[in-house]
Amino acid sequence: MSVTAVDARRLQIGYRNGRDSTTVLSDVDLTVPQGEFLTILGPSGCGKSTLLRVVANLLDPLGGQITVLGDAPEAARRARKTGFVFQDATLLPWRTVVQNIRLPAVVGGRQARALPESRISNAMELLGLSGLEDRYPSQLSGGQRQRVAIARALIDEPEILLMDEPFGALDEITRDRLNDELLSIWRETGMTILFVTHSIEEAVYLGQRIIVLAANPGRILNIHDLRPIKTDDNACQREDAAIVAEIAAQRRLLAEAS
Amino acid sequence: MRYTHILAPIFGALSILAAWQFLLPLSGVPAYIAPTPTKIIAVFFTQTDLILSNFLPTATEAVAGFFFGNLAAVMFAILFAYARFIRMAYFPVVLFFNTIPILALSPIIILIFGLGMTPKIIIAAIICFFPTLVNMIRGLASASPNEEELFRMLSATKFETFLRLHLPRSLPMLFSSLRIATATAVIGAIVGEWIGADKGLGALIIQATFNYQSDKLYAAIVASSSLSIALFALVALIEARVMRGWAR
Ligand SMILES: Nc1ncnc2c1ncn2[C@@H]1O[C@H](COP(=O)(O)OP(=O)(O)OP(=O)(O)O)[C@@H](O)[C@H]1O
Ligand SMILES: [Mg+2]
Repeated sequence: MSVTAVDARRLQIGYRNGRDSTTVLSDVDLTVPQGEFLTILGPSGCGKSTLLRVVANLLDPLGGQITVLGDAPEAARRARKTGFVFQDATLLPWRTVVQNIRLPAVVGGRQARALPESRISNAMELLGLSGLEDRYPSQLSGGQRQRVAIARALIDEPEILLMDEPFGALDEITRDRLNDELLSIWRETGMTILFVTHSIEEAVYLGQRIIVLAANPGRILNIHDLRPIKTDDNACQREDAAIVAEIAAQRRLLAEAS
Repeated sequence: MRYTHILAPIFGALSILAAWQFLLPLSGVPAYIAPTPTKIIAVFFTQTDLILSNFLPTATEAVAGFFFGNLAAVMFAILFAYARFIRMAYFPVVLFFNTIPILALSPIIILIFGLGMTPKIIIAAIICFFPTLVNMIRGLASASPNEEELFRMLSATKFETFLRLHLPRSLPMLFSSLRIATATAVIGAIVGEWIGADKGLGALIIQATFNYQSDKLYAAIVASSSLSIALFALVALIEARVMRGWAR
């Protein structure tokens, strides 16, 4: 538990275009201890997804240092220590629910095939998917699809779960439920979660800390600790006065920055 | 009303056939230009052997041409999709080859391979080849960026990504090309028979035309389009089987 989950120093993040490059976020300094639930908030296009993609080793940084679990992001990805949940679930339409969840056991060379079958049934049960094994993604609701995507990420038992607006396309009722289920999965597994959202309420409700990003120029605007207004296991009431005040404060901050 | 979508087109076809049957004699069009539907149908009963002995060679050539042409197209598409240098070197050659009209190419193929079935199979294969090649190359590249990243997150090998992502993703485009190829394969076989053959529906069409036997000519046309329809139905059946459950 002594290693940090993510450690970034003067990180430059952006996209290379041949010899040119466009910087999206600069001077990112960030330390995420293991086991933290961190939410990342910011306006559209500020670089939230790009930041997650660098941690996931789907994109190389333009400069600066980053370690994931004390090692290079690539090592963490190759060891399946990082998992990723996409906004659109990204289920393969030709595979059933159980076949989609089993995908990490089917691709990825030797280590993948060592996954015990019990993990699949456990993940299905944990996400309330029992009975839907043989459905195709086209036969699922948006919320069910997102549950399948989370189950698929969990069967590798990653130490860090990267979630890119996983509930962004869901209705509020479903989203609130999945928020609570995610919190209880997080408590049970003790993994680190980096959770991107553009919903201020969601960011405040879920996170132990919030990172607020701003655009033009892209940067970390503020890192805010929410633990003082929550209980020890990161629980809170949505209607709690301190939470409501916090949401209003973050909204003001974002409005001033843009 | 559940069967309207089946009954309506049957009604449409029957009404046109009925109009053809009864209005044609009144119109004064001579029988050697257009026979009535009943006379065309009669050919299938009175000259069953003639139709069958010409249908089978064409069917064999079309099916074999369809199979080999599309198989080659799929294999070349995979090669071109994953071997960048080979694609850059040879795709322009394939493009050039495709611009040669099949009618200009066919006599050369007949000269090389003689009058048997082989040249017809080759002609049918060639006209199936290019559309499937292009569709399959596009299909293999049609996975979304998120799907590619999912496989990268899982450290999937190139071959695993091909087998589990690119190949299934290419199926919708492959099948839409295969459906069209059912008709073009039959056209290829018939064109080959026109240029040099003594049997097959193409040969029958030429003979019947020169002998003013319009009933045989039309019967040959009905037989060849039946062949296309049967091939199309077979492909559609396989497609439905392979892609059951897929979102449309
Ligand atoms: N492949 C790419 N090449 C070049 N620029 C890109 C690429 N992808 C994204 N960008 C740019 O990087 C910036 C940040 O994009 P990013 O997707 O990280 O934003 P985001 O904060 O996730 O937005 P949203 O909330 O809309 O998802 C945007 O200005 C975008 O135009
Ligand atoms: Mg994004």
